[in-house]
Amino acid sequence: MELEDLLNKYFGYTAFKTGQKEVISALLNGENTLAMLPTGTGKSLCYQLPGYIFKGHILIISPLLSLMQDQVDQMKRFGEKRVVALNSFLTHIEKEQVLNVLNQYKFIFISPEMLQVPYIIKKLQSLSISLFVIDEAHCISQWGYDFRPDYSKLGEIRKSLCNPLTLALTATATVNVRQDIIQSLGLSKVTKVESTIDRPNIGFYVEEIADYRDKERRVLELVDRLPKPGIVYFSSKKAAEQMAELLSYQQNYRSSVYHGGLEQDSRILIQQQFIHNQLDVICATSAFGMGVNKENIRFVIHFHMPMQIESYLQEIGRAGRDGNPSIAILLYSPGDELLPIQLAEAELPSDQQLDWLFNRTDFAIRTNNRGFKLTNTLKELGGFSDVQWRIVEDLLNRPIQDTSSLQQIKEMLQDFTKKRLKAKKNNIFRMKQWIDTKFCRRQFILEYFNDRLITEVNPCCDRCGLDIRNYHSAEDRPQVELLEVTWMDYLRKLLTNSELSK
Amino acid sequence: MVQLESIILYCLMQLNNERTIYSIYHLLKGKKSSQTIQDAHLFNLKKYFGIYDFLSRENFDQIIQMLQDQKLIQSCGLQQFRSTSEGELFLIKNPIPIDLNGWEFHQVTARFWARLSLLIQVASNLEYKETNYIPIQKDKDIHLWLKTVLKEMNVSKKDMGGKLYDELIACFAENSELDPSVLVYRLTGFNQIGLTSLQAAQKLKMDIFDYHLHFINILHFMIRKLGQEPELFPLLAHLHRALMQQNDLTQSSQKTWQLLTLGHSLETIAQIRQLKLSTIEDHLVEITLNFKDFSINEYVEPILQKEILHVSKLIASKQLKLIKDQVKQASYFQIRLVLAKYGG
Repeated sequence: MELEDLLNKYFGYTAFKTGQKEVISALLNGENTLAMLPTGTGKSLCYQLPGYIFKGHILIISPLLSLMQDQVDQMKRFGEKRVVALNSFLTHIEKEQVLNVLNQYKFIFISPEMLQVPYIIKKLQSLSISLFVIDEAHCISQWGYDFRPDYSKLGEIRKSLCNPLTLALTATATVNVRQDIIQSLGLSKVTKVESTIDRPNIGFYVEEIADYRDKERRVLELVDRLPKPGIVYFSSKKAAEQMAELLSYQQNYRSSVYHGGLEQDSRILIQQQFIHNQLDVICATSAFGMGVNKENIRFVIHFHMPMQIESYLQEIGRAGRDGNPSIAILLYSPGDELLPIQLAEAELPSDQQLDWLFNRTDFAIRTNNRGFKLTNTLKELGGFSDVQWRIVEDLLNRPIQDTSSLQQIKEMLQDFTKKRLKAKKNNIFRMKQWIDTKFCRRQFILEYFNDRLITEVNPCCDRCGLDIRNYHSAEDRPQVELLEVTWMDYLRKLLTNSELSK
Repeated sequence: MVQLESIILYCLMQLNNERTIYSIYHLLKGKKSSQTIQDAHLFNLKKYFGIYDFLSRENFDQIIQMLQDQKLIQSCGLQQFRSTSEGELFLIKNPIPIDLNGWEFHQVTARFWARLSLLIQVASNLEYKETNYIPIQKDKDIHLWLKTVLKEMNVSKKDMGGKLYDELIACFAENSELDPSVLVYRLTGFNQIGLTSLQAAQKLKMDIFDYHLHFINILHFMIRKLGQEPELFPLLAHLHRALMQQNDLTQSSQKTWQLLTLGHSLETIAQIRQLKLSTIEDHLVEITLNFKDFSINEYVEPILQKEILHVSKLIASKQLKLIKDQVKQASYFQIRLVLAKYGG
């Protein structure tokens, strides 16, 4: 059967999107593959389709629990029942149940921390794994913007599973990061599929604004003029909340805030409201967007500067999936780069914190090489945030040589944080360079990823003469008729289908 | 936050200066401590136990400050307040919703809402013949529950939506005090995503604390109604099935109870569980509160029980220290047991 026939049979599509066919063909040839495909191009199809050809199991490592759940739900809705997610959402009993019948699942999603459990590795070793997939593979690289120490052990794990055929997927990785991925996974021969990351229908526009207040005013103005729906990204929950309130109360837009501090129920509802066009504007932190498949997002505005070009590209990439003209706007005020620097510093344990920790008598008990007591009390007393503490835990739980002294271990940690901070600051610096550049912004980003412009894009960016007015909505804002639906009508419409001729 | 203020005022009056203001905070949060559980019974505040599980200490302090600023309460000792006459007037003007039943339902309210919202979403999508949608509830237990219930419901897929609609309308009609919009706009169905609690509060122009209270109130009303008259609501009654199965003991007290039923003494239980005797005593107070027919004679002589009760009534106080001063031979544990048994 041709690949296209399989595509139609299992997914109902008639043609592959960019890069998909190349990846799948490489895998069917038995070649380890590194695929860099732009966001929203159906990366998951690259392992799902081979799943229907390969005899064994498909193991997918995915770093984000919520994303994993979305993918599993989505596959189930499309009729694939042999799919399971092994992560910390499962209760102990559920985990047992799943592990007992693990070989009945074709597609096994697993979080990297689960792979640290020897018992689970043993279970996996008893299966025949046809394909080992690493989603968001850039998390492997220490120089990637989203390094996860758990991910750096994937090479060993792959080895312990007898080096299965491997697919590493990422949307954004610089050349260095790509090299890191290959090395860290211990892949000898690798086929690289790198489709262009350019999204020609998205225009770039950077605007310098005097201060915070003016920025607020400018966002209100832009939201007024641009066609909707759209997303405004913030680095702070508070600022996002304030803007959402301004938009709903002052301007009467259907707007909501979205950030990790909301309860799960609310997060699901707001995401779904947006997808169902019940909201015009989402004011969000970077927590929003993963797994949101919405075609008609017309603008993405950045109120604050992102921490790196990679995440900027990912966030603006949510616009214009339908191929229609869309605009990415970044508002910059002098000194804005200080906020990401502060955030970067806050994500890492400080030297003082580490000094304090290593001086605690209730910490430095080492019976064997795993003798560190990492209690919650220590976390709280030392003022470690969740992110900081995770780094400490991850680094100390690595096998440490018996001979290394406490001092050496501490220095190892401090050395690590120093390097991470340097990498992060460098990323921020590159982002700032992009804001400051006098030349084509699209060109800059493509060069950052060693990509090349294939066809000329017009309109391209403010440096190439893009006029923001061309993106303004043609029609005036439609008078929002607040048609008050009574609760009874609301309920009736939910539960009785009047158009149904019974 | 008029409604929440009313509740705090009411609690203050019931407490009669015998507890600090934070005992109200713990009550509203539903703190699983013997002290709070006992307070809820002693002072007849069970209705409000655990109805504000999301209340923060900061929120609470702010509200107390506001009550003070409005001269509805006045300080009468460290962390102690009493209601002023304005406060009493305020309470009369702003009565508390009457269907709240925190003690009985606080542990099942969230589950009930999860079941209801998923049932409506599934029924709505069935009605519109839509199979591709994201369930609004992620909890697998709720999904499992729904699967079973759908099989057991004696209704065709075609009629389910309409029948549920009729039952909901009939249920709301049983209580004219209720405003169903508090609940209905939260519901999700075919091509219509429900509002979050904050959005619903904004739509109805309520502050979030009052909104929450009305939301809980209507859920508690439904839980009671469906429990009492399931025959009137053949479909909705499934929401109530096996909802209440767990008793209200904390997990730790549960274990103590198991050992107790095996005939162990309190000391042995403390040894087995490697807990302090005082902790086991706390559990016993909790058990006494939860099981009406639990006998405390083994721990307090009937004569002593009578004396403690007598003194408590005489000095019109439930403060342990005051009682202890009068009944020197009784231990604090014994006084608490007696108050738990007969006080609430």
